[in-house]
Amino acid sequence: MKRITLVLLAALLMLPTPLKGADRKIQAVATIPDLADIARNIAGDLIEVTSLATGVEDIHAVPMKPSFAVLLNRADVVILMGLEAEHAFLPALLEAARNPRILRDEPGYIDCSVYITPLEVPTRIDRALGDQHPMGNPHYNLDPVAGKDMARAIADGLSRNYPEYQSTFKKNLDTYLAKLDAAIARWEQEAKPLHGIKLVSYHPDMIYFAERFGMEAAGTIEIRAGVDPTPGHIAELEERMRREKVGLVVRELSYPAALAETVAQSTGAKLVELPYMVGGVPEAKDYLSLIDYNLHTVLKAVQKGA
Amino acid sequence: MRTTAQALIFVFLLSLLCFSPSHLSAHPARRTSRTSDAAAQLRQEIDAMKQQLQQMQDKVRQQEETIQKLSSPQTPTPGVPTATTPREEQFKREVKEEIMRDIRPSLAAANKTFPSQFNPAIGFIIDTAGSYRDHERGNFEFRSGEIGISANIDPFTRGYAILNGTPDGTEVEEAAIVTTALPYNLTVKGGRFFSSFGRLSSFHDHDLPFVNRPIVLDRFVQGESRGDGVEVSYLAPLQQYLTLTAGMYNKIGAENARVNDTVPRDFSQFTYLGRAATFLNLNDNNSLDLGASYAYTPKVKIDQGGNRHLAGVDLTYRYTPLSQASYRGLIWGTEFLYNHENRPIGGFPEEGTTSDTPLHFKRRDAFGMYSYIEARLSRRFYPGFLFDYAQDIDRAHRPTFAYSPYLTIWASEFQRVRLQYTRLEEPGNHENQFFLQWTVVLGSHVHGFRDR
Repeated sequence: MKRITLVLLAALLMLPTPLKGADRKIQAVATIPDLADIARNIAGDLIEVTSLATGVEDIHAVPMKPSFAVLLNRADVVILMGLEAEHAFLPALLEAARNPRILRDEPGYIDCSVYITPLEVPTRIDRALGDQHPMGNPHYNLDPVAGKDMARAIADGLSRNYPEYQSTFKKNLDTYLAKLDAAIARWEQEAKPLHGIKLVSYHPDMIYFAERFGMEAAGTIEIRAGVDPTPGHIAELEERMRREKVGLVVRELSYPAALAETVAQSTGAKLVELPYMVGGVPEAKDYLSLIDYNLHTVLKAVQKGA
Repeated sequence: MRTTAQALIFVFLLSLLCFSPSHLSAHPARRTSRTSDAAAQLRQEIDAMKQQLQQMQDKVRQQEETIQKLSSPQTPTPGVPTATTPREEQFKREVKEEIMRDIRPSLAAANKTFPSQFNPAIGFIIDTAGSYRDHERGNFEFRSGEIGISANIDPFTRGYAILNGTPDGTEVEEAAIVTTALPYNLTVKGGRFFSSFGRLSSFHDHDLPFVNRPIVLDRFVQGESRGDGVEVSYLAPLQQYLTLTAGMYNKIGAENARVNDTVPRDFSQFTYLGRAATFLNLNDNNSLDLGASYAYTPKVKIDQGGNRHLAGVDLTYRYTPLSQASYRGLIWGTEFLYNHENRPIGGFPEEGTTSDTPLHFKRRDAFGMYSYIEARLSRRFYPGFLFDYAQDIDRAHRPTFAYSPYLTIWASEFQRVRLQYTRLEEPGNHENQFFLQWTVVLGSHVHGFRDR
């Protein structure tokens, strides 16, 4: 009898504990630290956000850790980039998390791409064209104007789930947008020397950044998105870079260094190493400092080369 | 003549003198009266224009005021949020409706739906290999052509199926219904599926990290851990990841010949499974998955009604440097299995042979394990080494060993070539085996949690 009581007690302890409470914070899981930072700006003390990625990862290769399923199981909302950016880990984790509130298209599923006008939307879906994102290039977080859309989507998503805090979210959103607007005006001024400069990156993730600051994304070290290069492709790329006077090679920190260095050296282009997310380098502490760091690193390289 | 001419000139000059001054004096008077008329008219016109201008200025002022009112919320003072008035809201709504009215036809054209859009996601896998074995010699092995289908069924369930065509025929490898909205972190799975026994037992052949299924899994589980039945899984609401699974099946093992799936049986002849799995995040880059599985069959008909115990422990260590996860890493996976059941002394007679002497059964214990280590050197090259040790279920004292170095080359995420050499040391058979495997995925693919 004693044994049965113990077993029952253990089973009872395992049952989900009621977590709803008046002073309980909104439990949010963001896929990348950029979204976690913006969510904190929008919801302030009302929210507790955990990011699955630390910021140093390639967003397409975030490890699918079972501990993430535990976080998602307890989450009230999940905040994601969308456009299939998290395809490699999020759908499976959501399946393992057993949390119907945050499944795709449920209110707790906050997709930050809803206000984004995607670039590079494929006109033909074909694996011969690489690991395509059918809804368009998902790397919009490097464009600060897209940051405003991300903030709006997060405020909308949180308001949808917590209408009682809508006015707070709106007030904080306006404040954050004003802060971003001021920074964007400054960045656009600072970026003038970058106008017309061509860059090559490892993966096609610099397009939004390039467009925003008047630069031109002129190719990638990868043959196609997600497909590693062959020697033939590198030779062709280097030839084209010399012909088109591409002055900059961007190595995103989650991609191999050696090949990017070789390409930069053989073409005489400047090599810059950029984080892709908040937390990618110690200086990129939040979303604003991420853009600051990337822009100033590129500016420094260009001015040095001039 | 001359006098006549002079007279004519005089008359001409006189007429000039007489008429010219009158002309000169008459003109200014008429012009003065005309100018004053025109000036009055002009003044009237100017007055009219002034009025019009005034009206226009008033209108412009009114419009400017309206514009200023409408545009003022869009340029707020930084940090000071402004509220929108109902009139602004109405204006916004009207503008939005107007724009939507304009673009509606093109939106409708772009958003056309078709009944086929409800079709499930479909993927197809081709797995083929060339092999050479010392005794059997060379062969091109068409291993399988496999269709994978998956979709949500309704707000409560999803379904998936794997249909597999091999040289032996076509079969439904999996066809399962999985709940998605049960409370208390529960998931129920039913139909035909790979039961949660161990780790690699629930991998499809083409998803294995090496060419062939480890010998111990082939002997003890007998193929994939397929079972027709039902499984309940529970994610414990703890900080620590812990899943508990319980299942009931006709049998476990795709090639397990102890039980016929089509013949009904007593409850004591089903197989019951229990599994616990956890995950230890040692630090950002290092982790350990641990699992323990136990399958129990109270009465195995062909084993003289004796019970069967099959137990397994699996551990998987992963080194995944976060910033280099796509091109660096290491995985070390090991499983230990133990089988305990009644077996006829000397084993079952081979199929097709008859014997008059009744079979004598004895309790048999058998143990086996495999361990493999695989490194990720780049996005393309994954070398590894597999070690196999497995006792024979009927003759435990005669174990088999195998040593298999291999190299997997990923051309892309959807195409893989694998080279493997195996040195097999089994009783009565010592041989070298060579494999070249080529596997591709067409169409839809998923990164499943089970296959991690």
